[in-house]
Amino acid sequence: MGRHHLHPHDHGHGHQRGPLQHLPAGGKLAGALFLILTVVLLPRTAVTGLLIVGAVVAGLLAISQIPVWHLVKRLLLLEPLVLGVAGLMWFQPGGGKTFAVVMLKANLCLLTTLLLSNTTPFRELLRVLQRLRVPWIFVTTLTLMHRYLFVLADEAERMRRARASRSFTPRRRFQWPVLASVVGQLFVRASERAERIYDAMCARGWK
Amino acid sequence: MNAIEITDLTFRYPDGHAALRGLSFRLLPGECVALLGPNGSGKSTLLLHLNGLLPEKPGGDGAVKIYGESVSPGNLAAIRRQVGLVFQDPDDQLFCPTVAEDVAFGPQQLGLSASEIAAQVENALAQVGLTGFGARSTHHLSHGEKRRACLAGVLACNPKILVLDEPTSDLDPRGRREFKAMLRRLPATKLIATHDLELAVELCARTIILDQGRIIADGRTVDLLSDEKLMLAHGLERPHILHHLHPH
Repeated sequence: MGRHHLHPHDHGHGHQRGPLQHLPAGGKLAGALFLILTVVLLPRTAVTGLLIVGAVVAGLLAISQIPVWHLVKRLLLLEPLVLGVAGLMWFQPGGGKTFAVVMLKANLCLLTTLLLSNTTPFRELLRVLQRLRVPWIFVTTLTLMHRYLFVLADEAERMRRARASRSFTPRRRFQWPVLASVVGQLFVRASERAERIYDAMCARGWK
Repeated sequence: MNAIEITDLTFRYPDGHAALRGLSFRLLPGECVALLGPNGSGKSTLLLHLNGLLPEKPGGDGAVKIYGESVSPGNLAAIRRQVGLVFQDPDDQLFCPTVAEDVAFGPQQLGLSASEIAAQVENALAQVGLTGFGARSTHHLSHGEKRRACLAGVLACNPKILVLDEPTSDLDPRGRREFKAMLRRLPATKLIATHDLELAVELCARTIILDQGRIIADGRTVDLLSDEKLMLAHGLERPHILHHLHPH
């Protein structure tokens, strides 16, 4: 434990650098929602409109000074989900164009979200949600998720190291059985931890 | 009146494992008692009973009484206000993003006003030597700081009884020394489950030894821990510090 935690939001790229980072979280959240709604509501044919929004997002990304490689990595992580949905469009008549538009729309939304999450500490976003009177159960769930995501990531990393320390042969192929057991272990540990956290909350008067 | 009164407490986990078998003991207000025993002896299970976290629906049968009040579903809030439980793994207990928010959790649940909460948080952080740590992320504290923050979160509710589950495990010698000094300063009644035998000798005049869910011995710490045969029979050992206290 101690110094080698995974915590991308606190040690993230460009948090304190660009001008966007200093804007109030509420404004940024409203702006992001506006951009996303615009993208979602624009009809498939309004390619020019989408390109304009794209230019705006690209401009904001440039101002934010978030390293491009950092963005690309995060975007690639999410891309399977986008492809999963957009891929279905291929099977429709005139599917090629629809596929391209859905890909464009989805990636614009993702980039907007990445822009927001990389220029605004998550805690500030949670405070905005609280101020907006978003149901407490939703905010609490997000708060706990944010708190324990990194504890879980640390746990996964410790398991990876423990596995690596007893792996005496060089890595051959991706070992699916090993991965499956790690995911299973993490699930069991996370669920046990969830029970202990709930106990700790009850012990301090959680109702 | 006894601070804690346990009478014939028995508990079986749903898988049938008998964790506690007919425990009975009492703690007077202000006492500091060490709860020793090998792994799996039932220490943590017992501590969860003191806060009404086990069994899931406390029977209200008088097996666990806190200041004369039997733990039952109807009085859990009052019981938890009196008994502050510090968990073994600080990451389980520090569930809020920042130290100040975490310490404020208990007072918020008690329904205190914003100014009272702020005062409680400041006071609790000062008691554990974490003044100025309020805005720090709980995830980025060192293990020792996490332990202190956990204690502050409990102290902020002003409990009369402090129940600690292995509070010095994973601490370096300095952290352990400082944590013990801090515990010594706290006036509350304390029940400390621990493997740290030196802590037991230094802080607790009385010790209860638990093994396989039963109380094996209950008496003066120095007497019990000097009994090498007893200690070895229950996965413990005579602590080195006793050689200095009682040179033979």
